[in-house]
Amino acid sequence: MNVLRMFAVQTRMNFLWYFRRDGEMMFWTLAMPVFFLVLFSFAFSQGPSGRSATFLVPGIIGAQVLSSGFWGVGVMLATFREKHLLRRVYLTPMPRWIFFASLVAYRVTLLAVQAIILVTVGSLLFHVRITGNPVAVLIVLLLGTATFVSLGTIIGALAKTTESANNIASILTVPLAFISDAYIPIDRFPHAVSSALRLLPSTQFIDMFRGVSVDGASLASYGVWFAVLVAWTIFGTVVSARTFRWV
Amino acid sequence: MSENQASAGPAIVVERLVKRYGDVEAVAGLSFSVPRGAIFGLLGRNGAGKTTTLECCIGLSKPTSGSVRILGLDPTSARDFAALRPRIGVQLQSTSLPEKAAVGEVLELYAAYYGITPRAAEMASRVGLEGKLDRQIVQMSGGEQQRLALALALQHDPEVVFLDEPTAGMDAFGRRILWAEVEALRAAGKTIILTTHYIEEAERLCDTLCVVQRGRIIAEDTPENLVTRYGGDATVCITADGFSPDDALRGLGTWAKAKDEWQLVTHGEPGLALAAVVTHANAISATVRSLDMHRPTLEDAFIAVTGETIGEGE
Ligand SMILES: Nc1ncnc2c1ncn2[C@@H]1O[C@H](COP(=O)(O)OP(=O)(O)OP(=O)(O)O)[C@@H](O)[C@H]1O
Ligand SMILES: [Mg+2]
Repeated sequence: MNVLRMFAVQTRMNFLWYFRRDGEMMFWTLAMPVFFLVLFSFAFSQGPSGRSATFLVPGIIGAQVLSSGFWGVGVMLATFREKHLLRRVYLTPMPRWIFFASLVAYRVTLLAVQAIILVTVGSLLFHVRITGNPVAVLIVLLLGTATFVSLGTIIGALAKTTESANNIASILTVPLAFISDAYIPIDRFPHAVSSALRLLPSTQFIDMFRGVSVDGASLASYGVWFAVLVAWTIFGTVVSARTFRWV
Repeated sequence: MSENQASAGPAIVVERLVKRYGDVEAVAGLSFSVPRGAIFGLLGRNGAGKTTTLECCIGLSKPTSGSVRILGLDPTSARDFAALRPRIGVQLQSTSLPEKAAVGEVLELYAAYYGITPRAAEMASRVGLEGKLDRQIVQMSGGEQQRLALALALQHDPEVVFLDEPTAGMDAFGRRILWAEVEALRAAGKTIILTTHYIEEAERLCDTLCVVQRGRIIAEDTPENLVTRYGGDATVCITADGFSPDDALRGLGTWAKAKDEWQLVTHGEPGLALAAVVTHANAISATVRSLDMHRPTLEDAFIAVTGETIGEGE
C-alpha cells in the first residue's frame, strides 16, 4: 500500500515538476519528431509516399525512446547528482526502484503522447496505418523505454559530471539513430554490416516496434527479440544498481 | 533518562572514525557517544571535519576506518541502513530540491516516502512558511529553503535528528523557529546532533559540546564546564578617583593598574568581587567613573581551546 502510494505520488510529482521545468521546451519536444517525419518522408522518396512514412513513424518514435533513456534519464541523473538532489532522496526510506520506475512512467507517457501525435500526422499526410494490436504496441514501447532507461542509467552512474554525461549521451544517441534502422533501412548496408547492426538492442527494439505497430506482426512472432530486450533491461538494471552513486 | 532508555544504549556511538580524501584527512580518529535524549553539538572552524563526521553517521560517506552505530545500527551495512532511514531526520549543509517543486508538494512527497499522513499545512506553519504551500523552490530565499529542509527533517517524527548548520544564513526569526523546534524535540525525548558556528546557539541548545579541530576532538563537556575549564579568569575593571584596593580586595585575585583603570583578575565569582569593589569605593568616597565586569564566556573557552577565533578563515 505504502509502496503504491509512494509510486503514485512520485510519478505525479515527476509530471508536475518536469512539465514546469520542460514547459518551454515541450513544444519542441513534440514538434521535432513531426518535423523529422515530414522532412525525411519527402527527402527519401521524391514526393509523399506511404511506404517511407510508414517506415519512418516507428523509426522516429524508436529514436525518441533512445534519446529519452540516454538524455532524459541518463544525463538528468548526472545533473541531479551534481546539484546534490539525489543525496537528499537517498536518505529517505523510499525503495530505490520506485525512483526509477516513476522515471520510466513519466518518460513512457511522454513518448506515448509523441507517438500519438506522430501517428496522427502520419495518417493525415501520408496514410500511415497502425495495423497492430494497440496493447502489443504499448507493451513494446514500455519494454523499450525500460531497456533504454536502464542503459541510460549506466551513463548517469558512470559519468562524473553533467558535462561528461552529455558527451557520452550525444556520442551514443545520434549515431545509433542512423545505424539502428530508425531513419535509414539497414538493408541498405552490406549484409555483414547489417547483420552486425542487428546485434544492437536499439536495432532489435526498433525492428520489433515497427513489426508490431505497422507491419501487422504478432508479438509472439518477436518472442526471441522480446526476450533479448528483457535481457538487456536486466543487464542495464544490474549494472546500474552496482555502479549507481547517489552522492 | 529512565533506566529503560539507558539500557537501550546510546543513540550514537562513533569510534576512532577516520575519513581520508586522497591526502586530506578530513576526520582523523574521532570518537564520541551521544546518549538517547541528549542534544549534542559539534563546534569547530571551517574545514574542521564536522560535516564529514555527520555524513559518515548518516551513511552518505563511507568511513576510511573506524565505526559508527546509530541506534545500534551500522549505516555502512545496506540492511541496517534501510532499517535506519525511517528513524532519522536530516538537514544537510549541502543539498537541494527540484527547482520547480512547490512547498506543499515536497512535503506531500516526503510524507509518502515515510508512509505517514501528509500534514503539509501544519509543517509549513511550524517553520514559518504558512500560506506559502504553492511557493516553488526557485522562488524561495535561502533562509526559507533552510526552513523547508527543517520541516522535511522533522515531518516523520524521527528518533534521531542530524542538523548540519541548521541556522546558517537564517535571520533572527528563522533561528527562533529552529530553537523552538529543538526545544520541542528535547521535550519529546529525541536525540539531536547539530553543528553550528554560532556560539550563543551552541550554548543555548546543547547539553554536550565537542570542539573539533583538524578532524580531532580537542575538548568535550557541557557548555558550563567548558567555560569553567577553559574560559579563563573573570575580570572586574574600575576607574574611580582616588581608588586603590585594600588588603581584603587584594585577597580576591591579582590587581593591575593601567592609566587610571584598576583591573582585578579573579577565579572567584565576579559578581561578588564587583560588589566588594563597589562597596570599598563607596567606603573611601571614591567617585566611580567607570565600572565593568567580564565573566568568561563560551567564546573565551573556544578561543582558548582552539587557539584561534571562530571568525578566522570564514
Ligand atoms: N569530497 C571531498 N573531497 C576532498 N576533500 C574534502 C571533501 N569533503 C571535505 N573535504 C575536506 O575535508 C575537510 C573537512 O571538511 P568538512 O566539510 O567536514 O568541514 P566542516 O567542519 O563541516 O567545515 P564547515 O564549517 O566549513 O562546514 C576540509 O579540509 C575539506 O576541504
Ligand atoms: Mg560543514
